[in-house]
Amino acid sequence: MIEIRFHGRGGQGAQVASKVLAVAFFHEGYFVQSFPAFGVERRGAPVMAFLRIDREPIHLRVNIYEPDHLVVLDPTLIGAVDLTSGLKPNGWILINSYQPPEAFRGLKGFRIATVDATSIAIRHGLGSRTNPIVNTAILGAFSKITGLVGMDSITLAIREEVPGKKDENVRAAREAYNEVTAEFHSER
Amino acid sequence: MKKVITGNQAVAYGVILSRVEVVSAYPITPQTTIVEELSELIANGRLNTRFLKVESEHSAMAALIGASTVGVRCFTATSSHGLAYMHEMLHWASGARLPIVMVNVNRAIGPPWNIWSDQSDSLSQRDTGWIQLYCENNQEVLDTILQAYRIAEIVRLPVMVVLDAFVLSHTSEPVDIPSMEEVDRFLPPFCPSYPFEPEEPKAYSVITTPEYFFEFRYKIQKAMEEVSEVSRKVEDEFYVHFKRRYGAIERYGGEKADLLLLTSGTVTSTSRLVVKKLIEQGINVAGVKIKRFRPFPAKEISEAIKGAEKLAVIDRNLSPGVGGIFAQELRAALYPGEEKPVIFGFISGLGGRDITPELIEEAIHYALSHSQPEEEILWLGLKK
Amino acid sequence: MTKRMTFKSVSEMPEIPISMGFMDWNKTGTWRAQRPYYVDKTPPCSASCPVGNDIVSFIQKIAEEDLEGAWRVLREENPLPGVCGRVCFHPCESRCNRSFLDEPVAIHALERFVADDMELRKEKVKREIEKAKEKVAIIGSGPAGLSCAYHLARFHYPVTVFESFSLPGGMLRMGIPPYRLPREVLEREISLIESMGVEIRTGVTLGQNLDWEELKSFSAIFMATGAHLSRALGIPGEKRRGVFQGLEFLKKINSGKKVTLGERIGIIGGGNTAIDVARSVLRLGKKAIILYRRSKEEMPAFEEEISEALEEGVKIRYLVSPIQIHSRNGLKRVECLRMKLGEKDETGRRKPIPIPNSNFFIEVDSLIIAAGEEIEFSFFPKGWERREGILLTQRDGSIGVKGLFAGGDLTSLQRTVAHAIGSGKRAALAIDCYFKGRDSEETLRQILIGEGPSISIFRYLHPDERPMDSHIVRFEELNMDYFEQARRQKESKLPPKVRIKDFREVTSTLPSSLAIEEAGRCFSCGTCNGCETCYVFCPDASILKREGVFLREVDYEFCKGCGICFTECPRGAITLKEEAK
Repeated sequence: MIEIRFHGRGGQGAQVASKVLAVAFFHEGYFVQSFPAFGVERRGAPVMAFLRIDREPIHLRVNIYEPDHLVVLDPTLIGAVDLTSGLKPNGWILINSYQPPEAFRGLKGFRIATVDATSIAIRHGLGSRTNPIVNTAILGAFSKITGLVGMDSITLAIREEVPGKKDENVRAAREAYNEVTAEFHSER
Repeated sequence: MKKVITGNQAVAYGVILSRVEVVSAYPITPQTTIVEELSELIANGRLNTRFLKVESEHSAMAALIGASTVGVRCFTATSSHGLAYMHEMLHWASGARLPIVMVNVNRAIGPPWNIWSDQSDSLSQRDTGWIQLYCENNQEVLDTILQAYRIAEIVRLPVMVVLDAFVLSHTSEPVDIPSMEEVDRFLPPFCPSYPFEPEEPKAYSVITTPEYFFEFRYKIQKAMEEVSEVSRKVEDEFYVHFKRRYGAIERYGGEKADLLLLTSGTVTSTSRLVVKKLIEQGINVAGVKIKRFRPFPAKEISEAIKGAEKLAVIDRNLSPGVGGIFAQELRAALYPGEEKPVIFGFISGLGGRDITPELIEEAIHYALSHSQPEEEILWLGLKK
Repeated sequence: MTKRMTFKSVSEMPEIPISMGFMDWNKTGTWRAQRPYYVDKTPPCSASCPVGNDIVSFIQKIAEEDLEGAWRVLREENPLPGVCGRVCFHPCESRCNRSFLDEPVAIHALERFVADDMELRKEKVKREIEKAKEKVAIIGSGPAGLSCAYHLARFHYPVTVFESFSLPGGMLRMGIPPYRLPREVLEREISLIESMGVEIRTGVTLGQNLDWEELKSFSAIFMATGAHLSRALGIPGEKRRGVFQGLEFLKKINSGKKVTLGERIGIIGGGNTAIDVARSVLRLGKKAIILYRRSKEEMPAFEEEISEALEEGVKIRYLVSPIQIHSRNGLKRVECLRMKLGEKDETGRRKPIPIPNSNFFIEVDSLIIAAGEEIEFSFFPKGWERREGILLTQRDGSIGVKGLFAGGDLTSLQRTVAHAIGSGKRAALAIDCYFKGRDSEETLRQILIGEGPSISIFRYLHPDERPMDSHIVRFEELNMDYFEQARRQKESKLPPKVRIKDFREVTSTLPSSLAIEEAGRCFSCGTCNGCETCYVFCPDASILKREGVFLREVDYEFCKGCGICFTECPRGAITLKEEAK
């Protein structure tokens, strides 16, 4: 079983990102379980979403406390919340940031990858300049760095799950797939 | 067709596939997305259904009572305070013998204000004459809606399908969604027992003096007593069409076990993992999922627990002054029988706190290591 | 199922508590101690209408948007609704029960609205098939004469109306200026009367080119010659040149004749004539000052007329009484005394008392005296009884001489158009009774509206159709739970500056939407309008309908006399009486 935790802010689309990724894995024959952190979120408040995938039916019905990987939609959350809580050693932390992975050396003991999903989203007209929707772009990057799920499945999932601008979202994910940069921080 | 959908979407699919003609509801978290989904489908013209906007849950049920009386298959969904507000009309629906199906998304009742999973809302409606069915996963949610209409329309009693807040309602997982044609073969159209004919006016739910009221209540009890048999037949048929079966209860784990763990709702799902793990460790344990709470499956449980010395019950609810409601019902159900296992009544997960595998394991170990519970109520995961 | 059902075992019983048959085995009517029944009572508006209009019914028709029906209801009692809707002082509105909730219903505006509907007037009156042999002569074509002629024509009598002026209408034409009553309104209503076969011969004056001998060919005569003499003030100087009589002045200008006046015109008097004169003077481009010896409170002119006159610029000086009219170079100097108010007199108004040595002068170019009208008796045979300046008659208009009847201003001090129309109606009825040998007093009593004196011709012609209790409905008898406050609709008026440019009509007819809304304000006092509140409330389903039609009938087999219908009826149309044992 692989457990993934998404960090974002209310309104950014963390929940949809989790769901789209769940559908992508589903298309590759996985059992999936996608859910938001159950709460009363306001727009802009720090939020989380979760994804479990497994080759077996998933019976575990509790929150994810020790994720394998993190997807961070908003870099300003780093330091603001206990981002790496329970994250397994050497897990991926995929961050939406224009900065290179080296900029996040502080997150020791994990693999860091960054992608400027915000610029990509704006380029493809996703969301608005003040509130770009980055959740599809970052999934392209996720596919590339983890290799857990193929871009074809991501594309199919976006087409199924995203209500509007399907082509733009797919293109954004592809672009992120190509642009993401990764760095491995082994020292702890 | 398999799709990754939430529990609430599974409800909506169940309703659509059941060819429901009237939906009336009032929004309340965490039920709202059910009605949102349905009203959108109706507004888009994808459903030939009337959506009645109402000003309260009381009115929502009242509207369905009217619709069902005239022979229309209908649906509503609510949670928590909304269900409590509906209370009077719940009695009315069963007293009038209307096969209404509703969904309650389990949520705590405040204060303290809380929107998370807790069975106290539905369980405090246990005496309203509704059949209550608790679901473990989203597939079961969809399937149970389809079965609920069948059962309700045979025994002429309303059915409440219950699912946990967020853990099912907002969690997406793969669900096999049958086609309309498949469901049509399983679920025939609704024919009311006392059709409404304007040419021949009748008064429904009329005043009934002490001379006859008693007998009407007797008939409701008799109908409740038929539910076990009817459900079994409905499930057999359902199995033929869809190859899935749930049962009033389900026993899983070791064939012969000294200790049985009894759970309902999604706690069962996590418990399956724990029981499996402990059996692998050589512990003689098994689990019982209680799906149907009303009528309480006393006979089925007596059968399933034969030979067990101890029963550990985890209740995600509290009847203050008594304890867990499932444990209480279980004690009452087993009292007349010969099997008298020791019952360990655990309360856990109130107000949506996670019931983790660790807590479940703790409960089992406690029961294994004690011949009798030290207290009437065992608080699982309480900050002591 | 007509007997009571019983179940011996639970298996016989239905699954749900549902009615299995009917309750008609249970004749609850035998429990009844009080019996409700529908009988219309007299609404206060109709009771106070000198014409005897069926006000509630015609308004109800407007509310139902059945204007033709409203027109027919009005025409049952009154051939001059367009006239009355404009010039009547509407005592109906002063008595309207609605004024206890908010404001009275604008009855006059609704009457006018119906009368002005172009479509309705296209109605062609059917020529009467066969005329009776008795011919009737009517002297005077004012409202009394026209009303009498109209109803007699409906009773199939050949009627000839004699009018001394060259055009018919009497005081309606001569006394009322066109800005209150446009001539086309008067003419269309008169022509409708003529279309029923009434002959109007104008330019025929009794005592001049018509003598009593000629009238002997008629089986009955109705005298309605009116009151045309201006009352003199009895002060020195009132016969001087440049001093006019009010009614004479109005007759001249209303018949298109020129009157030479100065710029500043004094008018003496406080009645409707004085106001009509003053407002006409303004329309001739002059200034008008009214001199009245009492205060505004006591003025006999209608309040609305007074306020319209003031809006238009008429000046009124109260508590002044002319004692002599001086004249110098055409200019009139009116010597007046100031007055104060004393005790109430026999008319209920406070008496003016001169203040000694308060003499002062008012200067005017012309003076018009409008101090009231009197009857010209000179052409009447001697011996006709008179008292207080009017001809004495019975209630039915008979004057004690066989076949002779009288009405209008001739026989009444209440000199209004509505009273005149009412007296014409009563005379028509009396004449019919006279020809048929019926007791007219007894007949009249049976068709009185409320306590009278107005009568219902509808009930005379259709004695069994709509019986009416003479009880006049009080506000307390209505159920205010069913009514909400609602603003009274007002007819729009021309701005005062525009009005006085000429004699165009000041007030306009309500638009249809507002009229229908206004009609909805009527309580329909004492008159069932089929609202079905009783039907809804009756716990025994004893208010009957047949094929969906509300019957205003009670099923006494099942009515147990609970009285809920009586209590709930919004308009007091149901009566409850002790069941006769």
